Amino acid sequence: MINRKITILGPEGTNLYILLQFLLFSVISWFTLFSSIGSIEFETTNILSRQIVFSLIGLSVFFLTTYLSIENLYNLINPLFILSISVLSGLLFTTPILGVRRWYDLEPIGIPIFIQPSEFSKIILVLFIAKILSQNSYKLIFIMGVLINLLLIFIQPDLGTTVLLLLVTFFMFFISDIKLRSTVLGLLIFFLLFFILLEMNFIGDYQISRITDFFSGDDFSQNQSRLSISSGGLFGTYFTNLQVTEVFVPVQTTDFIFSLFLRNFGFLGGFLLLSLWVLFFFRVNRIIKLTQIEFEKYLLSGLLILLGVQIFINLLTILGFIPLTGIPFPLLSLGGSSIFSTAIIFGLINRVFIENNIVV
Amino acid sequence: MFNQKRLKFTFLSFFILLVFILFDIFQLQTSEFLSSSEIIDQQNLDKFYITAPRGEIFDVNGEKLAESKLEPYLFLNMRKITSQNSSEYRQIIQYNFPELTNLEINEIFESKEILKLVTNLYSVEYEIRNNILNNFDAFLIIDLPVRSYIKNELFAHTIGYIGLPNQEDYEEFKNSLGNNQVGKNGLERYYEDYLSGIPGELIFLGSDIIDSKQPIPGGDLFLSMDSSTQYVTKESLQQGIDLANKSFESINEIKRGASVVLDIETGNIVSMVSLPDFNPNKFVSGISDFEYKQLDRDQAFNNFAIQGLYPPGSVFKVVAYWLALSENIFPEGLSNRDSKVDCVGSLSFGFVDGSKQVYNDWKLEGHGKVDLTDAIKQSCNVYFWDIALNIWRNFGNTEGESILQEYSKELGFSKKTNIDLPFEKVGIIPDRDLFEEWKISRPGLVRDEGWLGGDLMNLIIGQGAITTTPLQVANAYRTLLTGENLSPTLNVNAEKIINNKINVSDEFISFLLNDLNTVTNEGGTAYVSFSILGNKANDIGGKTGTAQNAGDKNNTSWFVGVDSVSDPKYIIATVVDEGGSGSAVAAPVSRRIIQHLRKYELTPVKFGEITE
Repeated sequence: MINRKITILGPEGTNLYILLQFLLFSVISWFTLFSSIGSIEFETTNILSRQIVFSLIGLSVFFLTTYLSIENLYNLINPLFILSISVLSGLLFTTPILGVRRWYDLEPIGIPIFIQPSEFSKIILVLFIAKILSQNSYKLIFIMGVLINLLLIFIQPDLGTTVLLLLVTFFMFFISDIKLRSTVLGLLIFFLLFFILLEMNFIGDYQISRITDFFSGDDFSQNQSRLSISSGGLFGTYFTNLQVTEVFVPVQTTDFIFSLFLRNFGFLGGFLLLSLWVLFFFRVNRIIKLTQIEFEKYLLSGLLILLGVQIFINLLTILGFIPLTGIPFPLLSLGGSSIFSTAIIFGLINRVFIENNIVV
Repeated sequence: MFNQKRLKFTFLSFFILLVFILFDIFQLQTSEFLSSSEIIDQQNLDKFYITAPRGEIFDVNGEKLAESKLEPYLFLNMRKITSQNSSEYRQIIQYNFPELTNLEINEIFESKEILKLVTNLYSVEYEIRNNILNNFDAFLIIDLPVRSYIKNELFAHTIGYIGLPNQEDYEEFKNSLGNNQVGKNGLERYYEDYLSGIPGELIFLGSDIIDSKQPIPGGDLFLSMDSSTQYVTKESLQQGIDLANKSFESINEIKRGASVVLDIETGNIVSMVSLPDFNPNKFVSGISDFEYKQLDRDQAFNNFAIQGLYPPGSVFKVVAYWLALSENIFPEGLSNRDSKVDCVGSLSFGFVDGSKQVYNDWKLEGHGKVDLTDAIKQSCNVYFWDIALNIWRNFGNTEGESILQEYSKELGFSKKTNIDLPFEKVGIIPDRDLFEEWKISRPGLVRDEGWLGGDLMNLIIGQGAITTTPLQVANAYRTLLTGENLSPTLNVNAEKIINNKINVSDEFISFLLNDLNTVTNEGGTAYVSFSILGNKANDIGGKTGTAQNAGDKNNTSWFVGVDSVSDPKYIIATVVDEGGSGSAVAAPVSRRIIQHLRKYELTPVKFGEITE
């Protein structure tokens, strides 16, 4: 491996396109949040100033990740995976917040945020699967590892992330040469397990009610979300109408931020934002074709699939096609954990880019 | 092996899904745009605000001065009250809360609000609460904060009080609408945005609560004030006022006064008392109209420390003292601070038009030979009049004639000190321009000739049109002793703002301290009041002031003290409105406060000597 020159922006600089994309999405998020609260004050309670701080920390996370070479990363995957499993297991011993064990509260040690470990464990899962696939060794212990990871998230309970990771796992196995039959079979088995657990009352009431509400078609927040999107029109209300009737959408700044975005910037804004993501996929896909290293191919595809499935689940939720999941929109939603984990994803992609000497 | 084809297939399916989603969004935002807007207009989501607990206020030792306790309140969800169940609910309320009158109950049931307050459940048994909540779903318990001022009257003017917001408050403070309370005066108002917290919300769709937001409590305030010093200050001032009432035959009852203790090094306020005062807790539970009017008539709501405008009298002489030494302007014929004039008890001087005027000192037999030190020590007016005459003869009717006013303004007179309290008054430093302005705006107040030498002579001894607040005077002395005019603050975390710096040498400061020290020692105007301290008075300094008022009003009694001249820590400024001689009333009040600050044994305020 070539020795790389270390610069402030990472080894031999940073891929400008990836960096620009990251910054652009962050700024769009700030504007969207600003429309929701209409003011910025530098206090920990002000969501916009929180988000700006998160974005800036996210930016340094992005650069820090870039310093990690793919070779070192590859060797770190097994320990990281074990760490991830332990941290997820640790959650079982915390006191539930809002009925679920999903966060570590850092308030007692003086940092006013909640850490959601599943945000990071999903990246580690992608790395782990990419490693299994590139080694072409489907040992039972590895498959068990993946299943335990999914199960730990499932019993938090976090149905949304479980479905997300299930789909990501499915697609990642799908793009390897593994027989299609076994992938589909695996998926079926997991769904079977899900319904057994459902029967055993392992799933919280509120999750059931989310699902039944959905099928009875009266989920309040999704109805409101559709109304909110609709009121945006073609060009949105951000620049034209200052005195608009408020549309109330619960958790509008986190899970439902894209409906807020569509209301503010209309169809045109939504089209442009999604086009930026399509462009991003094209760009990364070219590197997947270019690189000769099997692991890098799986890594990049895995990360793209992770981002893509997240975006789709989020979009389908706010449009009311699937039940509420609690999956944030990458880089747009308010929340530190989500931003940091997306920053890590961007940082990893960036590293693969520069190792292939693509800096623009 | 990595399968590029399958990846392509995956991304292609992603793309198709994306197109499908975009199509749905497009349809939503175009064809359904109008019908949605209509639904939004009709949707009546209502918000009910829950008052956030205000931040608490602590003194310098961490003692709590104001707190917000949460108490449970019973509310009735009016949207769940129908003609069928209304009589049932009425009975439950009547049965469980017999203290509510029929009139009050009628008012509840006629209310148009979403949630109507029924009663405070603080002293209601838990079982009753539980029973009501579980069996009748229109009832709802919400915890609301109740403000209480632990020290009652003691900090009434500095902490202030809260009340229902009016239209202006709504516009100025964005949280006041939801909180239903706003700081009306004092720190409660100055730090309203910081203290108020963000109200919580209950969102109603019809009669159901579909979402809620917890209120976010306001920030706590930590003051530089000290409860024990505040207590002694108030007690001493009250004793001084009582003493003045006993000693003078005043036309008006003497009841107003103010006293401030200022930390010299930091500019922090250690205590600030204004009398008469009031109990801010009365505003929490609701004050009766009669009581309010009575307090208002006594001007109890005024914080005289920052809102009382008094002529400063002789305490103002330090301005001329500083001017004399900085500009080397002494009485005519004198060249330095040690040369003496012969004070015969009056000063006569001629005008250009040939007329003569005689000014009489307060001590008719005269002070004898006085230098600058003696002039401060004995508060000799003639010495300072001579300085004024010298200024007038040299600079009168030129640019330079306002030199005394400029020096005053450097010390902060006629300007806000910018203390962290609302509604501060600025006072007046008169000059030619002001008199010209008054000729037009307030005819009859000043004579036709406008600004004359006599006005300057009045000003130099703190008389005439000049007015100052006690805090301005305290801060001016602080400025002279430190060289920087700092805004005094009550909140220890407030930013320290330097208004301006002045040029004072260490030599000047030690001269000033020495000369202030002579005032409280043998031969000084405040000697009698401080003699009770014995040797300890050797280290204390101050300046007395007795300002004449127009009409029948008794003189204003002033004293500005320094707790120690060897190691000055505090400035103590005391005013008793209509309290007569400064050395007789304000000086012993300040003496008692200094006794507390220096941890000496406290002795009662005793009548001093009548001087100026």
